[in-house]
Amino acid sequence: MRTIKAHVKELFNDIPASEQKELMMQDIIQNLEEKVSDLMFDGKDEEDAINKTIVEFGDIEDIKKEFGTNPKPFPLKNPKRFSLHLGFSLWGSGLITALFVFINLYYSPDVIWFVYPVFAVAWWPLAMFYRWLGKK
Amino acid sequence: MVRSDIIRGHLDAIILRLIYEKDQYGYEISKEISLRTNDRFQIKEATLYAVFQRLERRELIESYFGDISHGGKRRYYKITKLGKAYFKETVEEWQEIKEIINIFMEGM
Repeated sequence: MRTIKAHVKELFNDIPASEQKELMMQDIIQNLEEKVSDLMFDGKDEEDAINKTIVEFGDIEDIKKEFGTNPKPFPLKNPKRFSLHLGFSLWGSGLITALFVFINLYYSPDVIWFVYPVFAVAWWPLAMFYRWLGKK
Repeated sequence: MVRSDIIRGHLDAIILRLIYEKDQYGYEISKEISLRTNDRFQIKEATLYAVFQRLERRELIESYFGDISHGGKRRYYKITKLGKAYFKETVEEWQEIKEIINIFMEGM
């Protein structure tokens, strides 16, 4: 039975390690081993049974494809999510700016100081804007 | 054996059907497919597990560990509510497709 295990491990070599992969490998090894013992029960010798099982396993590409399409449950690739972050940052910084402008003009109209906090806040939408640009 | 590329498009439904009937583990399902089709169609394990992975990701099935056998715990697959609804839809769709294709395939 060692060769079944070794063979499956070799097939899965290219697929990046994950819990899903480990579970699936265990499952496949177990099922293939069961198939081998069924074939042996029908009168095949061990080597024949293992070879037949390995040949009938089919093309690993099918499984690779399934693993390739969605490595994470919530991929951040989605540009829509980022335009949402960008929108939020624009609204947020806009409101903060408005608050500073109001405080400035209302309480100390002689000194224009609101630009300093506005510069600090401007980093937020800028960072989001460039991430959004990068993801697009 | 028949050309399997047409069947391939319906593998999700075939496997959902078998899991719908009762919770099963991988090898059991591949045996069941061969048995019911009289060996006219056999599923390859690689294909079967690709389908499991896809169905599980789409939350149409889920898995759990069952009884111990052959030196380990068997992983059983179970259909979800969503899976049942999806399967019923697929069956209706199939009836429709079958009728349409039959218009052109029959009577020659």
